Amino acid sequence: MDYFLELFLGGLTRGSIYALIALGYTMVYGIIELINFAHGEIYMIGAFTALIVISVLTMLGWNQLAILAIATLAAIVWSSAYGFTAEKVAYKPLRGAPRLSPLISAIGVSLFLQNYVLLAQTSDFLPFPNLIPDFKFLEPYEGIVRSTEIVIYVVTAAVLVILTVLIKFTKLGKAMRATAQDRDMAMLVGVNVDRVISFTFIVGSATAALGGVLIASHIGQINFYIGFIAGIKAFVAAVLGGIGSMPGAVLGSLVLGWTESFFTGYISSDYEDVFAFLFLVLILIFRPSGILGRANTDKV
Amino acid sequence: MLKLKDIRTFYGNIMALKGVSMDISEGEIITLIGANGAGKSTTLMSICGIVPPRSGEILFMGKPIQHMKPDRIVSLGISQVPEGRRIFPYLTVLENLDMGAFLRNDKENVKRDLEYIFELFPILAERRYQTGGTLSGGEQQMLAISRALMAKPRLLLLDEPSLGLAPLVVKQIFDIITKVNSEQGTTIFLVEQNANLALKVAHRGYVMENGRITLSDNAASLLSNEDVKKAYLGL
Repeated sequence: MDYFLELFLGGLTRGSIYALIALGYTMVYGIIELINFAHGEIYMIGAFTALIVISVLTMLGWNQLAILAIATLAAIVWSSAYGFTAEKVAYKPLRGAPRLSPLISAIGVSLFLQNYVLLAQTSDFLPFPNLIPDFKFLEPYEGIVRSTEIVIYVVTAAVLVILTVLIKFTKLGKAMRATAQDRDMAMLVGVNVDRVISFTFIVGSATAALGGVLIASHIGQINFYIGFIAGIKAFVAAVLGGIGSMPGAVLGSLVLGWTESFFTGYISSDYEDVFAFLFLVLILIFRPSGILGRANTDKV
Repeated sequence: MLKLKDIRTFYGNIMALKGVSMDISEGEIITLIGANGAGKSTTLMSICGIVPPRSGEILFMGKPIQHMKPDRIVSLGISQVPEGRRIFPYLTVLENLDMGAFLRNDKENVKRDLEYIFELFPILAERRYQTGGTLSGGEQQMLAISRALMAKPRLLLLDEPSLGLAPLVVKQIFDIITKVNSEQGTTIFLVEQNANLALKVAHRGYVMENGRITLSDNAASLLSNEDVKKAYLGL
């Protein structure tokens, strides 16, 4: 039973991180129908930014929690700047072009960012210090769940609540939904669509950066390649849930996290990634619109 | 109020508007009639900045607007009810109306205007928490007009508001259009294929063929014009 619980919580951890990345995928897709393949790299850059800030501030001898807070903030700001810039430079000029063009551009941005971090930071795994303190109340559950994981659950849940409120109840959120449903009509009622799109990229990048810092703290090491695999898996999760749907992205992430966790726990850990992609193939065959996706992929 | 000076608009390499000039004064109801593909909708989309003209000038209250972005143009007081209604299908009726007032910050007045809309179209008040996509065609057209009115436009552009609607609903919608014009002083630019109907409510009319204005006169004379009768009134 303990083993089951461990796998369950491990799956929840994975699922939460996938969700933080998948939300960005699905929000961007909802608004401009682009699979932003560079999204995983934004997450990776978030982790590296945090590592750099942590290294500098640790040398200066700052307090651990203060370092963690500032590093996280820096990761969010810096990643958002990357997401914002990528959209302006690589996607916006291609708006109105055939759908394949921005997709290829996104793959280009992804390769560019990976190689740029590779050159700047080498391909070695760099140790990432875990600054999240151990919680006293978790001591009896040692070996089942770690403090970092609790933080991951709480942060993910908080992000979900904040995003839901933003999208459902604010004026900007309404403008985002309107833009997603009919971009020209949104312009005709006075929405500055460029700004809404930029904002969507910023929000998506910020949540991905948060995911990057959390998973780096949890696993304890990072390299230039972590964004690629995490990005692809979050993409699988977003498709599974129904791309374009935010609750779908979360649901898909959790389902993928749990199946991966139980599969590796009970069957084989060697085929973990193979399994994730097998999942993608099966979804695309049997339910291409995903669990919560709208059946009509063409917008009215 | 609105002046188009020899505007040419393109889709790719295809010239859809081949030098269109029009003149609309404040308080008028004017109509633009013409066959399918004549360029009527393109004219409206050019005015709103969605498909900006490649050459020519569009003046609104004396100001050139042909290079402005759509949201700026809306903020000057031009709203459009586009062809096919274009309701946000997954927003509620109330949210659709809120989107109409997107650029307004005078909350009190917006609230009052919402009341006014619900008086004009009680059915929308009844369905305010339903999503736009679940409304009938006529209700969607009412919502589309209401959404445009929520912006408190000085110039309202309507693209084929009668399309696909039952005669009774069409009458109701045209009554509202004339009411908005006479009560609020809103200038109306009405694009219609149903020329008979349009020329009856309009003060003046333009006839468009193949991206060019071929005729312009006051509505009564157009109604009795032999060419117009033959081509557009089916007489």
